[in-house]
Amino acid sequence: MFRAMLVKEFRLVGRDKQALAALFIMPAIFILIMSMALKDTFDSERALVDYAVIDLDETAESVAFGNFLAADKGLHKYESAAATSSERQSALREGLDFVVEIPAGFTEKLLNAPAEKPISLKIYAAADIKKEMLKLFQAKLLSGVQQLRLKDLKQELSPLLSAAALNLAATKFAGFEMSVKEIVTVHFSGQLEGQRPTSTQQSVPSWIVFGLFFVIIPLSTIFIGERQQNTLLRMRAMHVSTPVLLAGKIIPYMVINQLQVWLMIGVGMFVVPLFGADALTLGRSLSGLFMVSFGLSLTAVGTAILIAVSVKTVEQATTIGGIINILLGAIGGIMVPKFYMPEVMQSLARLSPMSWGLDGFLDIFLRGLGSVEVLPEFLKLVSLGGFLLLLAGIIFERNLKTV
Amino acid sequence: MISIKNLSKSYGKIKALNQLDLEIAKGTIFGLLGPNGAGKTTLVSILNGLLDFDIGEIEVLGVELGANLKSIRKRSAFIPQALALYDNLSVIENLRFFAGIQNISGTVLRHNLDYAISVNRLEAILEQRAQTLSGGQRRRLNIAIGLLNNPELLYFDEPTVGIDPESRNQILETIRSFKDDAKTVIYTSHYMPEIEKLCDEVAIIDHGRIILKGRLATLLQEEKSDSVVFELLHSSRVQLDAIASQNDDLQVVDAATLLLVRQSSEKVGQLLARLASEEIAIRQLRYGTTNLEALFLRLTATGAADV
Repeated sequence: MFRAMLVKEFRLVGRDKQALAALFIMPAIFILIMSMALKDTFDSERALVDYAVIDLDETAESVAFGNFLAADKGLHKYESAAATSSERQSALREGLDFVVEIPAGFTEKLLNAPAEKPISLKIYAAADIKKEMLKLFQAKLLSGVQQLRLKDLKQELSPLLSAAALNLAATKFAGFEMSVKEIVTVHFSGQLEGQRPTSTQQSVPSWIVFGLFFVIIPLSTIFIGERQQNTLLRMRAMHVSTPVLLAGKIIPYMVINQLQVWLMIGVGMFVVPLFGADALTLGRSLSGLFMVSFGLSLTAVGTAILIAVSVKTVEQATTIGGIINILLGAIGGIMVPKFYMPEVMQSLARLSPMSWGLDGFLDIFLRGLGSVEVLPEFLKLVSLGGFLLLLAGIIFERNLKTV
Repeated sequence: MISIKNLSKSYGKIKALNQLDLEIAKGTIFGLLGPNGAGKTTLVSILNGLLDFDIGEIEVLGVELGANLKSIRKRSAFIPQALALYDNLSVIENLRFFAGIQNISGTVLRHNLDYAISVNRLEAILEQRAQTLSGGQRRRLNIAIGLLNNPELLYFDEPTVGIDPESRNQILETIRSFKDDAKTVIYTSHYMPEIEKLCDEVAIIDHGRIILKGRLATLLQEEKSDSVVFELLHSSRVQLDAIASQNDDLQVVDAATLLLVRQSSEKVGQLLARLASEEIAIRQLRYGTTNLEALFLRLTATGAADV
């Protein structure tokens, strides 16, 4: 009996081009596009800040200060004309984040009268610059100023030191020239030494979660079609019970969901790198991956069947299914990462099953965790999926009694 | 074969079936008639175990319905009016699917498939998707699905709706052939001529009760005595409705037929005069004859050919 139902369901989905597109092609394209679009997000070599320098001081030290900024790969220097107020405004409007003005006499006063209040460096910032970015840039400028002072101090002290002290000073001062990379190593949670999270690793889980819920539309559409065409009635007259009927939907669509998961993982691993972005790596727990995808699948199928038994027409199912999918995605941190959300929205996000699934997948793909760690998400998803299916079964039975 | 005693079913305050009694013998092609809302669908749904009933006793295929539903369903088939099949599957895929969910396999499957296919003349279209078939072919597939368990008892609900006369005749011929296989058929239809051609017995159900039941030939014979059928030319339904509205013994069968019940020569004369004044010509007058539709109309007094 189940074999017949599985074969029938696969044939129906396989011959429905729109369903195939929604289930397999759209999520694969999402993954490709989002991985490409975000591929520089986690690149430590990528310039985060675009800036220009107006050097009114024009000293060797002010040039060295400019070189210090230029040596940082996180900053990208533009040779923009920004001397006049209107040029600065124009440059900042067109995409520069900062224009740094080194006033005349800045280095002279900084180095020769260190105890006095220095002449301030001026920063002209773009109107939409983020607070965090401004703080980082200010810290970078301060670091540059300290370097100038240290170099000057070294030069001042050198004639006064013995050969031994000079050697010692040379060694000690050398440390001040080291880059951040030389002094600090970053270890990302769940990653091996030297590995860093990639955009693919970040985006694939989101779109797997979203893609799994795409089953809502084909499943509910086929189910309503069967009800309208009386094939469900006929099956009941052939002594197929409600649990068996529902199982005949649940099992094939959970299999389809698993195919989706592995297709999307395959795209992340093998297709995305062809377009220049990082390849997806699987994490360390296949059992954890299966648990999360099983829980998500049960919830998605439960939602789809509940919609199918609660509405009358295919049009209602596609509209309601589409809205629910997008809302759960928006609330659950699929479209906007949860850490960008205010506290209230983050609390709301915790109610979305997509958020549970995403947390589970991020644990597996990004944080390198396993089945024990994703057990809470798995239990929440399975409980919700079971509840939705139970509710759907009750409504379906009730509707049958009013033939 | 089927025995129903004192069957009642209510939807809230509405009594769909009211202490209904009915016996149907094995091997009968039985027509079930009634106006919309009379209780036909409710009765057929209960007999198929699709609806619960309030009170009553039902035996189907010689056994009590409630306790033996599974075995009864294995030996019976319900062929719904809607084409309960999958448009995106081929004919053979549809047949194999519906056989599969009934756990029919092996030699039984082969035998029953051959039977369902040959009886419904589907051999040439087995690989065609259902959505590409004509209306008649789809209807035949709908029936073939019902034959997959080689049932002893078949319920047909309007099996010829929306198809051409040739396909209709083929389907009626198929259903008639079930009698040779000793199958019992319960048949509901809006087409009275079909019932007349096909059925051995009929029951008319109205307001949840059987108001007439018997062998069709006997019932029509009993109706013969005091009726006249007027077959007309150049008439319209509107004209005939207007004429019938002034005469309680006159019923409109269709746009070209009037039935005068409880006839007398005076009434016939008055009607002839009225038809002449309306410039409606008479093709034929038949004394002492009737048809099922006329009988049905008289009994249910709906004034419309709505079964």
